[in-house]
Amino acid sequence: MSTTSHKTWPKLTSQDEFRFLMELVLNRSTGDHTLVSLHDQQSGTTRFANNQIVQNVDMRRGSVSVTVAFGQRHGTASTTDFSAGKVQETVARATHIAERSPDDPEYLPPVKPQHYVTTPTSRPETALAGPARRLEYTSEAIGQCRMENLGAAGIVSSSMATVGVAASTGLFAHEARTDARFSLTVQTGDATGWSAAAHRSIDHLKVQERTLTAIDKAKRGLEVRELPPGRYTVILEPAAVAGLWYSLLWALDAKSYEKNTSALSGKLGRQIVDTRLTFRNVPAHEDLLGIGFTPDGLPTVASDWITDGVLTQLSYDRFTAKARGIDNIPTLDAPCLSASGLPPPTLQDMIKHTERAILVTNFWYIRTVNPTNLTLTGMTRDGTFLVENGAIVSAVKNFRFHESPLRVFNRIEASTNPTEAITSETGKLLVPAMTLSDFNFSSVTRF
Amino acid sequence: MHAHRNPDQDELAELALKRVVASGAEYGDIRLLDSTTQTIRGEDRRIASIRDAQDSGFGIRVLYHGAWGFAASSVLSLEEAPRVADLAIDIAKGSASLARERVKLADEPVHRDRIVTARRIDPFAVTLDKKTALLLETMESIHRQPGIVRSSASLWARRDRKLFVSTEGSRLEFDLLALSGDFDATAIHDGRFASRSFNTPHLRMGYELIDDANFLAVAPRIASEAVEKVKAPTTDPGQYDLVLDPEHLSLTMHESCGHPSELDRALGYEANYAGTSFLTTDTRGTFRYGSSHVNLVADNCEPETLAATGYDDDGVTCQQWDIVRDGIFVGYCTNREVAPKIGETRSRGSNRADSWSAVPIVRIANIGLEPGSATLDELLADVTRGIYIEGHGSYSIDQRRYNFQFGGDAFWLIENGRRTHMVRDVVYHGITPEFWGSCDGVADRSHRRRYGFITCGKGQPAQSGWMTHAASHARFRNVNVIGGQAGS
Repeated sequence: MSTTSHKTWPKLTSQDEFRFLMELVLNRSTGDHTLVSLHDQQSGTTRFANNQIVQNVDMRRGSVSVTVAFGQRHGTASTTDFSAGKVQETVARATHIAERSPDDPEYLPPVKPQHYVTTPTSRPETALAGPARRLEYTSEAIGQCRMENLGAAGIVSSSMATVGVAASTGLFAHEARTDARFSLTVQTGDATGWSAAAHRSIDHLKVQERTLTAIDKAKRGLEVRELPPGRYTVILEPAAVAGLWYSLLWALDAKSYEKNTSALSGKLGRQIVDTRLTFRNVPAHEDLLGIGFTPDGLPTVASDWITDGVLTQLSYDRFTAKARGIDNIPTLDAPCLSASGLPPPTLQDMIKHTERAILVTNFWYIRTVNPTNLTLTGMTRDGTFLVENGAIVSAVKNFRFHESPLRVFNRIEASTNPTEAITSETGKLLVPAMTLSDFNFSSVTRF
Repeated sequence: MHAHRNPDQDELAELALKRVVASGAEYGDIRLLDSTTQTIRGEDRRIASIRDAQDSGFGIRVLYHGAWGFAASSVLSLEEAPRVADLAIDIAKGSASLARERVKLADEPVHRDRIVTARRIDPFAVTLDKKTALLLETMESIHRQPGIVRSSASLWARRDRKLFVSTEGSRLEFDLLALSGDFDATAIHDGRFASRSFNTPHLRMGYELIDDANFLAVAPRIASEAVEKVKAPTTDPGQYDLVLDPEHLSLTMHESCGHPSELDRALGYEANYAGTSFLTTDTRGTFRYGSSHVNLVADNCEPETLAATGYDDDGVTCQQWDIVRDGIFVGYCTNREVAPKIGETRSRGSNRADSWSAVPIVRIANIGLEPGSATLDELLADVTRGIYIEGHGSYSIDQRRYNFQFGGDAFWLIENGRRTHMVRDVVYHGITPEFWGSCDGVADRSHRRRYGFITCGKGQPAQSGWMTHAASHARFRNVNVIGGQAGS
């Protein structure tokens, strides 16, 4: 296999082909409004465990979805078969549904044609990467672990998609998006270490560097001690911060906010986290996975959500936005959390200047316990350490926590510059590592 | 655009598998799947969406020199089949280059069969008018209860038509249905909000499941209990006896027994994502998982249950076996790849993929708690201070499945043998074998109910597993209830 065996890939649906599909749908539809959506993807994942490949998969899936509306009645049908007959049948199915649907008072016709800022959503090196490139990275990670007599489990994945949305209003958007991922869990005995990356460019996964990080964490875990549950100062690595912060995003839903079923209800314009924290959406950021437009066809926009700790924005559906007279709906496709006013140390500096703390690599299985005050629970995972007098002194058995991001992000002692973070439970964000005081670990597990 | 003629499925399968055999691969199979999913979702007294999704494609799995390759495509054509077959072969060769231990599949007889879900009423033949009217009337009924601020109601139906063909000669056809319905009510009081929900189980049957569930008769009670729940007093943390209903237990069993009994987890295959298992291979046959009241049985043969598909995606016959017998851990969920690694000569037939585009992986079977001999009243009668829990709430468990925490959907205080009033903010915490070790009573078969999951996350790329868990009510002594205000 060559490293870039692109000649073997089927061509994904181009802009012209999507326009042809759109016309096929619009010519067939008798609806007052018609919306056509495209998602055509080629993706592959090489998965390994116990230092060998256990799954090695490649997939091409194209799907076109049609929404037809008569007045306030609407229906949606989709197909993975792009033949003209099937696409026309899909229009008929959507029409059939719409004709029999009750009026939906919140239905809005598709948006009018929009202006899109070109967002660098795809990278050719990822689009051209195939099984051979994934195998190369897999071999690198496994090889380093084998040399250290450690076990490697993880994935290397890459994908390219063409995505489109078009409507009878004249709306038309189409773009290519790429995504590459690497994650690795290194095992030795009961100890594990983890590291992960996601990027538009497969060249930016930093496989060697992240493998060494995971190896270092696993090796540090060989000596483990059990600490009692209680309140500790914690140093959260970016992935751990991302896990807690991501849970806050669900509470930004504007409709829930207005119906008083959000933990943030009544807090718009008020301080909700430390005044040094600012949260923005930055679609054009090269290290984030921003997109050019939403499934509704609205352009993604750079926007401020929390400024100096004050909640300034909510996440609107189109109906709620219209009811509030909001024309430009903000998006959260490329989130970035930053801290100002603090001298930005590195993670190593933070450890060095800490008398006693728990260093957390990642959290796992984070769930809401109390939606009213956003109390969450979850476990530490794959690298939890005791820091004393400026150094990591041992691994500790994993803790369960009970905390709310609305409480812990008001107890910041130190913070780094925003860093790339991705976990199995979050999308990609830029967030700092943070030292937080008085963090509630409620119980300990057996490893 | 893919302007290919739609080939006969057998023709396409034969074309693909011929190339696999010619490559020198020791095994190959193809799954062609055509799925139709209808989802009707209501929210706050309106029908928010009706979606009819058709998803078809094929996936080819190749075992070459003891290593796997898999490729899949939604383009069903005689031109695409050889491309995908060649790609799967090429990928398998790449895997083989890093192989240390060759995969050797457990033997399985060749099967040629056709499986069809029995149904009285085809859910896709029921008119949309009838379905949307049911959801709208259900939500209206909920909102008639003072204190309710939000509601939702939905129906979901899926039909899978699948053909599995292997190079060993198996040919299996499937025409499977699955169905579910649910609704919930959210109440607000004193700055708090709380929801109460009703769910039919996900089962393989027809629309009679929805008819029999009688949403309109149940909705007023659910709405009333949502209001009672949000106004209920909070719980004092402490040790309580718990009586858990079958729906609640379905989740407890799933997370604390189902996942750790997956052999691929125990062998480290999921170390980077879903996690491993405290039920390591040396524990089988000796480890005390629970009390002698605890008998957990995998049954992929029980009609109407999600994993009872006749054969799994290895082409292995669905079976029944023990996971925990008299409190001792005795058996795993396996597939043809991992079963030989613990000396078993045949797979348990628990290898499933969630679509044509995914490779099958070991999945939790239909694991259920075997009924005991008590009645629910007898279980309650022997509780001085306890909590009765219904339904699912917040849940979280560590990656080896030791340290867990479960909430629920509704909670009632038990005082001196009687269920008294609702309480809120109940969250209990435990260590799996200690928790199951505290089980001292299971209700009889007349209390047995089935619930299931279609969103069990596992695998990379992530897949959704389907399985049903049946139980009667069960009682657990001195469980640590920490309360939903924990940490505040």
